[in-house]
Amino acid sequence: MNALLSLPVLLPLLGAALSVLAGRSRPLQRAIALTTLTAVAVLAVVLLVEVDHHGPASTAAGGWPAPLGIALVADRFSAIMLVVAALMLLAVLVYAIGQPGAERNHVGFQSVYLILAAGVAAAFLTGDLFTLFVAIEMMLTASYVLLTLGGRLDQVRSGMTYVVISLLASVLFVTLLAVVYASTGTVNMAQLSLRIADLPDGLRSALAVLMLVVFGIKAAIFPLFFWLPDSYPTAPSPVTAIFAGLLTKVGVYAIIRTQTLLFPAGTHPVTLLLVLAGATMLVGVLGAIAQGDFKRVLSFQIVSHIGYMIMGLALFSVAGLAAAVLYTVHHIVAKTGLFLTGGLIEHAGGSSRMARLGGMVRTAPVIAVLFLVSALSLVGVPPLSGFIAKFALVDAAAARSSYVILAVSLVVSLLTLYSLMKVWIAVFWSPARDPVPDAVVPRPGEPLGGPLLMVAPTAALAALTLAIGLAAGPIYDYSVRAAADLLDPSAYVTEVLG
Amino acid sequence: MIALLVAHLVVGLGLIAAGSRAGRGAPWIAALPSAATLVWLIAQAGGVLGGEPVTQGVAWVPALGVDLDLRLDGYAALFVLLIAGIGVLVFAYSACYLPGGGAGEGRLLGLLVLFAGSMLGLVLSDNLVLLFGFWELTSLTSFLLIGNDHSNAAARAAALQALLVTGLGGLALLAGVVLIGQAAGTFSLSAVVADPPGGTTVTVGLALVLVGAFSKSAIYPFHAWLPAAMAASTPVSIYLHSATMVKAGVYLIGRLAPAFDTVWLWRPLVVEFGLLTMLAAGLRALRQHDLKRLLAFGTVSQLGFMVVLLGLGTRATLVAGCALVLAHGLFKAALFMVVGIIEHQAGTRDVRRLARWGPGWGLTIAVTVVSAASMAGVPLTFGFIAKEEDFAALADGAFSYAGLVLALVVAGSMLTAAYSLWFAWGALGRAGPDHASDALAPAASLVAPAAVLAALTVVLGIAPAVVDRWAGGAARALDPAVGPVHLALWHGVNLPLALSALALAGGLALFLGRARIAPVLAWGGRLPSGADAYHWALAALNRGADRLTGLVQNGSLPTYAGVILTTAALLTTGALVAGGGWPGWPALVGSAGHVAVCVALVVTAVAAGAVHRRFSAALLLGATGYAMAGLFVVQGGADLALTQVAIETLTTVLFVLVLRRLPDRFEPRVRPGRRVVRASVAVAVGLTVFGLALTAGGSRTEAPVSGEMVERAVPDGGGRNVVNVILVDFRGFDTLGEITVLTAAAIGSVALARAGRRHRGRDPAEPAADEALEVRRLVVVDVAVRLVFPAVLVGSLYLLFVGHNQPGGGFVGGIVAGAAVALRYVAGGIDDVRSLSRARPWTVLGAGLLVSAVTAAVPLLFGGEVLEGALVEGDLPLLGHIKLTSALAFDVGVYLVVLGLVLMVFESFGDEPRVPAP
Amino acid sequence: MTVLLAATAAALFGIGTYLVLQRKLSRIIIGIALLGHGANVLMVSSGTRGRAPLIGNGPTEDLADPLPQALALTAIVISFGVTALLLALAYRSWLLTHDDEVQDDVEDRDVALHGAPDVELDDENADREDVP
Repeated sequence: MNALLSLPVLLPLLGAALSVLAGRSRPLQRAIALTTLTAVAVLAVVLLVEVDHHGPASTAAGGWPAPLGIALVADRFSAIMLVVAALMLLAVLVYAIGQPGAERNHVGFQSVYLILAAGVAAAFLTGDLFTLFVAIEMMLTASYVLLTLGGRLDQVRSGMTYVVISLLASVLFVTLLAVVYASTGTVNMAQLSLRIADLPDGLRSALAVLMLVVFGIKAAIFPLFFWLPDSYPTAPSPVTAIFAGLLTKVGVYAIIRTQTLLFPAGTHPVTLLLVLAGATMLVGVLGAIAQGDFKRVLSFQIVSHIGYMIMGLALFSVAGLAAAVLYTVHHIVAKTGLFLTGGLIEHAGGSSRMARLGGMVRTAPVIAVLFLVSALSLVGVPPLSGFIAKFALVDAAAARSSYVILAVSLVVSLLTLYSLMKVWIAVFWSPARDPVPDAVVPRPGEPLGGPLLMVAPTAALAALTLAIGLAAGPIYDYSVRAAADLLDPSAYVTEVLG
Repeated sequence: MIALLVAHLVVGLGLIAAGSRAGRGAPWIAALPSAATLVWLIAQAGGVLGGEPVTQGVAWVPALGVDLDLRLDGYAALFVLLIAGIGVLVFAYSACYLPGGGAGEGRLLGLLVLFAGSMLGLVLSDNLVLLFGFWELTSLTSFLLIGNDHSNAAARAAALQALLVTGLGGLALLAGVVLIGQAAGTFSLSAVVADPPGGTTVTVGLALVLVGAFSKSAIYPFHAWLPAAMAASTPVSIYLHSATMVKAGVYLIGRLAPAFDTVWLWRPLVVEFGLLTMLAAGLRALRQHDLKRLLAFGTVSQLGFMVVLLGLGTRATLVAGCALVLAHGLFKAALFMVVGIIEHQAGTRDVRRLARWGPGWGLTIAVTVVSAASMAGVPLTFGFIAKEEDFAALADGAFSYAGLVLALVVAGSMLTAAYSLWFAWGALGRAGPDHASDALAPAASLVAPAAVLAALTVVLGIAPAVVDRWAGGAARALDPAVGPVHLALWHGVNLPLALSALALAGGLALFLGRARIAPVLAWGGRLPSGADAYHWALAALNRGADRLTGLVQNGSLPTYAGVILTTAALLTTGALVAGGGWPGWPALVGSAGHVAVCVALVVTAVAAGAVHRRFSAALLLGATGYAMAGLFVVQGGADLALTQVAIETLTTVLFVLVLRRLPDRFEPRVRPGRRVVRASVAVAVGLTVFGLALTAGGSRTEAPVSGEMVERAVPDGGGRNVVNVILVDFRGFDTLGEITVLTAAAIGSVALARAGRRHRGRDPAEPAADEALEVRRLVVVDVAVRLVFPAVLVGSLYLLFVGHNQPGGGFVGGIVAGAAVALRYVAGGIDDVRSLSRARPWTVLGAGLLVSAVTAAVPLLFGGEVLEGALVEGDLPLLGHIKLTSALAFDVGVYLVVLGLVLMVFESFGDEPRVPAP
Repeated sequence: MTVLLAATAAALFGIGTYLVLQRKLSRIIIGIALLGHGANVLMVSSGTRGRAPLIGNGPTEDLADPLPQALALTAIVISFGVTALLLALAYRSWLLTHDDEVQDDVEDRDVALHGAPDVELDDENADREDVP
């Protein structure tokens, strides 16, 4: 059990160390990374089954029981996040290996990628607020490196925006930790959920809001998201894909975890959350409509869809949180798939500007299908994962009679459809406005529109979003159980503190 | 039923995948699922029309009440008959209509099959959410079908318009479904209809559902997408945009009408919008010269009529509506086929360019006349029967304003008759040049499908009793109270007959007098139309999106940082103040030492921010760092102070390494306005921190967890330096993460510094010629350094080993070792550093991380916890008696990582850039 | 926690913020460093102060709270690593532009100035009112 909880973090670290030592031998590095991440994925699945049967599980790092030491905790929510994350990391790694570019030209890629994996896993598994800070720092530092691989001018510029904003978030996080320790004398989350309840209202809600801001920057909610659409598109496409899929979701995870675990029912900033959720959806999708580069369209949509997850949280009902969990899972898969498809389009078409692409439904039908699947899943077309996720959210909102946010979410999903179909029409239907000079689509010898190692993972994710849609029944039931745990953290607390 | 849906799915996807390889046989393959459906339907018809519906269900998401519940009752059967029957004919038609071959064709047929499947699912769904799902699928397939000829810009635009308008309706439908379902406690369609919920939310829900239905069935003001969709190829127009998909809205209205027609806003909405549509579209139809658009407006008008009939939901109107749905399916599909034939042969659809048809067109002409007559409601066609029923149903008026409704419907029928004549007139080439057409006569196989439909129109027109069971069964499925139905050609001389005559006569008059009424119609054409509304809305949306995005996403880092910090400050302060609970002021100052260091801190900080020389700024920042160390000392943090000093030194060195490249001065060119903004944000942030810190500091109630750490440090942690024990033992997991961060940072800075270097075509090995360094290369320094270096190294090792008991530890040790390296760098430059050892910095770094990670992992092998400690005592030369804990091994890893980081940083900054300075 | 310490932290935060809101990366880095110092002041002062937490030379009662020190130490080290990376970024940016000014995002400026680079004006070819 304790191994199950610590290995998802330790294995990638060992892998990272080895692949640093493996130095210039790329095949060796690849073997290390692939085996590590596969192992993590398997462990994650086992952990999920385990947790779903026996409720939250925890282990005390160093054998020091919490709150003396650091507790690693897994409940249904963190378990499913871990599973999905591991699958994405694996798929994107294969894609990166298949793609000419980033991974091949940089000795550090594999090591840093594994460090990113370790950070993400640690963030999902830690039961300690400070360790969450460390985990997020691992993830972010790795992401800085991946984002600026290649050191092109646009990368450096967007890298600066990204790093500086993230550093601000980190400073705020340290401040938050200082304040938390000053007022409660602990950083163990289970213990915090007991002690924060006794704090004076002002301080408690201040903490709640500050946490919202700190993690809101990572999750890219309004008005803290501006860095995202500027930085993501400049990275190599596999990097962008994994960022889009996982990084913001770690923020969302942290928001949901802290708001539900640390703050007693009835003290949550519900109205604030609802307003932020609505604003995030709207501003994000309008931003997407205004873009001429499809990578930026997709980036703005990430923001917009984060709003849906916050909406689910803001309802603070089992149905709402279950919908949020389901939606997050769905979005990770669909969005990563869409960005990988975007990478394929860029690879085949030679540009990511819509005006320069065109007619690819004829020249690259496979890519067209892959795009359509992920895109329609995002829009919420049955039987893909997005359909049930969206419906669950709307249904939960109606059950709570939160009609305003319900209306907003529906309008936004129409606008999402519009922005995606603009991309579809421009890239796949209409002829290119100013075509990429002497671009041959698809590249000779690539009937699929790209190398097999790039197409296969993308197709796998498209299949996965379909599978989630078809198996929505059990997955939603699981989400409901996870949501129930979140709303009633007593099991979590007793598991950690005994 | 599920089998049928799957069949559609498989065949559809298969055809799309096959693309051009499908070949000439493709349409016939495509027809198979529809044929199968038709056979199945006939087999089921007996029981279903008799009132025993066939049901089938598979659980999907029971927890949400969303399941794959299918139900074939009489009403659904009527629509399945249209979908499958006309489907077969459309594919037969396509076999001759399509040129054959071409990937686009495989795609077209495949999508048509997928559409047929979705439409089938829509009418079979007994679950409102499932129905919505299929609804969306039909919108989507329609989008892809309209735009299938993707090189045609008009088609693309029409596709998008159709998708957005029906998509908007779809979302309204979803909202409505959810509201109604919430109120009813179930999403089962039959359950909701059987026991309709009430209340405001339901009323709102119904309004939203109607919006969805209207948008799908091209009711005003949503109609505009349908005429635009005529850009699609003929089979699509026949199948989706006249026979089936556009009837989805009508279908849904019929489903709900009997249950909800008593809700106050139901009838006003359906009747008013239905009549408006019937009349307005009828008028528009009269003005068209494009036969296809003429039919499109005709369809819109007829859909309005159906909405009125089924929407009213009285027993009679339900029967009449069902009859009309059937009749319309027959004649409108035939007419569209005719238009397709004409375009196929003559290459135009414009009545002004169509000449009279020559020999060989007889069958086509017959089909045209019969079907147009049916549309107009001429006796001996099924259209007449249906219209009789309609008039009769409205005449017996079991609802308010029946007379007015009847009058307007008759007026609408006049228009219908008029544009039917106008269509026939134009289609037969009477409105065009006065000579025989030279277009080749169509192949019999091309006309055959239309002929079948026309034949049915006549047969049913003479012996309507054949479909009594269908119309009756359909209506009875909606309202069990519907009695036996007798459709008949002759009901005797009565009001309906008179009205039919009136409608025909009026239609004839309008047609003959069309020249005279043309100005009126033209005026009507100038009224703002749905199309304009759509384009205006779309343009507004795009403009708005640009504006807003340009406003919030201005691409400037200072703005982003400012917004974030302001948000943090305002929200936190707001919460703090609103919540209240001020604990009161703590002690003013801790000690004199505090005052000193704090003053030093602030002063150096201000200075570091104020100076305009990068170099001095860097040094002042270093000073601030040392002041921090001072603060740590007075606060009682020996290790912290030590670390701070070490880090500060290193950071300053780095800064200098980087800054020596940059121009020495900042160019301060900021508008005073910005200064004010910055200053106010700064103040806000400062105040927030101040308030938060004091409140938090005063609110501590419980004892900190660290007490236990102090107690257990020596007995269990095996170290007297509690901070170090915490770092490498109690919270070793954090430290593991910490050195991982360092590893990533090291890799990153090397990657950045070396990026793109190789393809700048300069040899990395070439000696660095750095004057700045040359100058510093004094022999004295060199010798001194070489003497000091080993001592410093030993010192660093000492710090590492005693760390557990006295201030020190792996991190400080590593930094000191790094400092030693820094000395060598100052003395001898990067080459001197490189000469230190064979081991590449990478190796040191990796080894360090490996050691720590392994130390962490090993206990797991023995069933222990991650990072669990072990203890070994022993005597070492030079260091005396010490306890070796596994924590030490862990700390060695830390030491190595830090050293590796320092080495790599010098690798990246210490080296000369390989790009020529401008 | 004393008023003095809170005020010092506040001051560091203020100055840091002011610097972060500038365009020169060197300034921003200094600003972030100061913000970090401010956060660490809060961190160390979040526990009781006293003698350095070394056991053996005196009673354990008047020891400073070791946990915040450990946490602060970790935070400091991490921010050191990231600062190194940020410096590398500044260095790179100098290599490319011979300046460390943080430019605005080009795409954003485009949108702000000329609106979206139109993909396909949807009404350009669409169904218009028919002329009799």
